[in-house]
Amino acid sequence: MNARPATNEPRSLAFRRERESEWLALEALLDRALPRGLSALEEEELHSLPMLYRSAVSSLEVARATTLDRELVDYLEALVGRGYLAIYSSRRGKPFELGRLLLLRFPQAVLECGRELALSFVLFALGVVVAWALVQHDGAWYFAFVGEGMAGGRDPGASTEMLRGALYDDSGGEGLSIFGAFLFSHNTGIGLLAFAVGFAAGIPTAYLIFTNGLVLGAFLGLYSSRGLLIPLLGWLLPHGVPEITAILLCGAGGLAMARALLLPGERSTREALVIAGKRGAMLVMGSVVLFFFAGIIEGIFRQTVLDEPSRFAMASFNAAWLTCWIVLPNVWTRWRGREAS
Amino acid sequence: MSDTGGQAPTVRHAPIDPVVVIQSPEGVPVSFVLATPFERALAFALDFLFSQLMTIALVLILVVTAAATLSEYVLAIALMGLFVFRYAYFLVLESRYHGATPGKRILGLRVVRRDGGPLDLEATLARTVLRELELTLPIALLSAPAQFLGRAPVWLTVLALSWLAIVLLLPVLTKERVRAGDLVAGTVVVRVPRHAMRTDAAKRAGSDRGLQFTSKHLAHYGEKELEALAELLRAHEIGRAEVSDLTRVAETICQRIGLSTRLLDDPERFLRDFYRAQRTELERRLVLGQRVADKHARSNPRS
Repeated sequence: MNARPATNEPRSLAFRRERESEWLALEALLDRALPRGLSALEEEELHSLPMLYRSAVSSLEVARATTLDRELVDYLEALVGRGYLAIYSSRRGKPFELGRLLLLRFPQAVLECGRELALSFVLFALGVVVAWALVQHDGAWYFAFVGEGMAGGRDPGASTEMLRGALYDDSGGEGLSIFGAFLFSHNTGIGLLAFAVGFAAGIPTAYLIFTNGLVLGAFLGLYSSRGLLIPLLGWLLPHGVPEITAILLCGAGGLAMARALLLPGERSTREALVIAGKRGAMLVMGSVVLFFFAGIIEGIFRQTVLDEPSRFAMASFNAAWLTCWIVLPNVWTRWRGREAS
Repeated sequence: MSDTGGQAPTVRHAPIDPVVVIQSPEGVPVSFVLATPFERALAFALDFLFSQLMTIALVLILVVTAAATLSEYVLAIALMGLFVFRYAYFLVLESRYHGATPGKRILGLRVVRRDGGPLDLEATLARTVLRELELTLPIALLSAPAQFLGRAPVWLTVLALSWLAIVLLLPVLTKERVRAGDLVAGTVVVRVPRHAMRTDAAKRAGSDRGLQFTSKHLAHYGEKELEALAELLRAHEIGRAEVSDLTRVAETICQRIGLSTRLLDDPERFLRDFYRAQRTELERRLVLGQRVADKHARSNPRS
C-alpha cells in the first residue's frame, strides 16, 4: 500500500469521455424543444429524446454517487432539469380539455364541494330572511342594505305604481346588449373576488355572500309589503337562477379554500389547499359560463319580455338545464364507476 | 502542522440559490433553482406591459369597427372582450407555452407543478383567478379606498390591510417563494436550468505523465478540500485568481503532504497534477463506499 504511485486517471474522467456524446446530443435537441415545444422536433428526434433523457438521468445518478467533479454533477443536473421541462411540462394540447373540464370536472367539483355549497346557501338564505323580515317590519331598514345608487328610486318612499313600473320597464331595445355585457363583467368580477378572498380564512367570502343575500332580502321585503312579490319574482328569477347559483358556487369555492387552510384534516395544509384550490377553480369556471347566460338574460330578455308566464317559463327552463348540467355528469360517472367495478 | 491549508483557497463560493426538488414521474428527483421574487416581479411587469399593449391594440380595432358598423353589438363584444382578455392573456399563454408567459420566457422562468406532473389547465386557472386577490383588490383599494373601507371600523381595516400585506409578501416570506396563486395551484416558479459543460480540471494532454504522487501524499485531504482546489483552478482559468494565490496554496499543500517546496517552479501545473491524483484516489475510495468528507476525517484514525 505504501508508496504505490497513483498513475491512473480519475474514474469520472473516463465516465465523462464515454457518455459525453449522448449528453451533447440531448442538449442539441433540448435547445430546440424547450423554447418551441416538442413539435419543433422531427419524428426521429422525438423517438430518441426519451432514450437520451433516461440515459442522462442514469448518468446523473452515477455521477452523484461516484464522481467528485462538481462541475460535472451541476452540468448533468441542469441537463436533466431541462429534459424534464421539455418532456413532462410540455404536455401536447388536448383539444377537448376545456370541454372535458366544463362538462365533467365542473359538475364533479360541485358535488365534491357539496358541504361548502350548502354553507354558502345557508349564509345567503340567512341574509335574505334577515333583511326581508326587517324591511317588512320597518321600511327604514331598507337603506341599511341597499345603497341609493343600486335602489334607483325603488325604495320604501316610492309609490306602489312606481315599484311595479320598474318591473315592466320596456327600455325600447337600445343598447341592451351593452348593458348585458356590463352586467356580465361586473358580476363575474364579484364572483371571482368572492372566490379569491376565500384565501383570508373565508371571512370576506362569507361576508360577501351574506350581504348579497341581504340586498335580495330587502328587495323581496319591500315588494312583498306592497303585494308585488309574484311580479318581482317573475322579473328576478330568469336571470337570478343562473346568477345566484354562480355567486353561491364562487362562494363555495372560497369557503372550500378556507376550510383547507383551517381544517386540512389528514392532509398537510398545502396539499389540502391545492385540492380545494383546483376544485374552486372549476367552480369559478362554471360560474363564468352561468354569469354569461345571466348577463344575456338580465340585459336583454328581462327588458324585452314583459309578461309573467314567459318570465316564469324562462326561469324554469334555466333551472332545468342547470340541474341537468350538474346532476347528469355525476350520475353518469357513478354509473360508469359501478359498471367498472 | 499548521492548519492554513483549509483557508488558503481565497475564491469565494457563489451564494447558493434556494432549490426546489421535484420528483419526476419516473421517480428521479430533479432540482431546480427557484426564481427570485425580483425576477418574478420583473416577468410580471413585462407581461402586464404586453397585455396592456395588446389591450390598446384591441381597443383601437374595436373603436374602428364600431365607428364603421355603428352597431351596439360591437361595443357589447368589445366590453366583454376587454374583460375576458384580462384573464385570457395569462390563461392562454401560460397553458399554451408550457408554463411560460412571454415575460417569464424572456427572463428564463417557468411554472412547474410541485408534484412533478404536467401543468394542467386547472392549475393555471387557479393561479390566474387568485390574481384577483393579489392584484385587482389592492389596485381597487388604492384607487378608491373610501368605497371599500368607508364604513368599516378602524381595527377591521387595519386587520384586513395587514392580512393583504402578508398575502402580497408571500413570495418573500415563504421558503419556496410562492405567491398565493402558487399555493392554491400547487406550483412553483423556477429558472430554466442552464449550465455549459466546461473542460474537466483533471483533463490532461495524453502524452504528459505529470507529477507522480504516492498514496502517502494523497492521504491528507478530503472531498471538501478537493472541491476548493477545483474551484481555485477554475477561477484561475477565467482570470479571477492570481498566480500568487496558486503559489500560496501550492506551498501550503506541499508542507502538509510532506513534499519539498523546491519542486514548485510551476504552481499551476503542480496543483493540476495534485488535483488529478487526489481526485483519482478519492473517487476510488468513494466507489468502495469510503467517503472522506474533509481533512479532519483523515486525522481520525478510525476512518
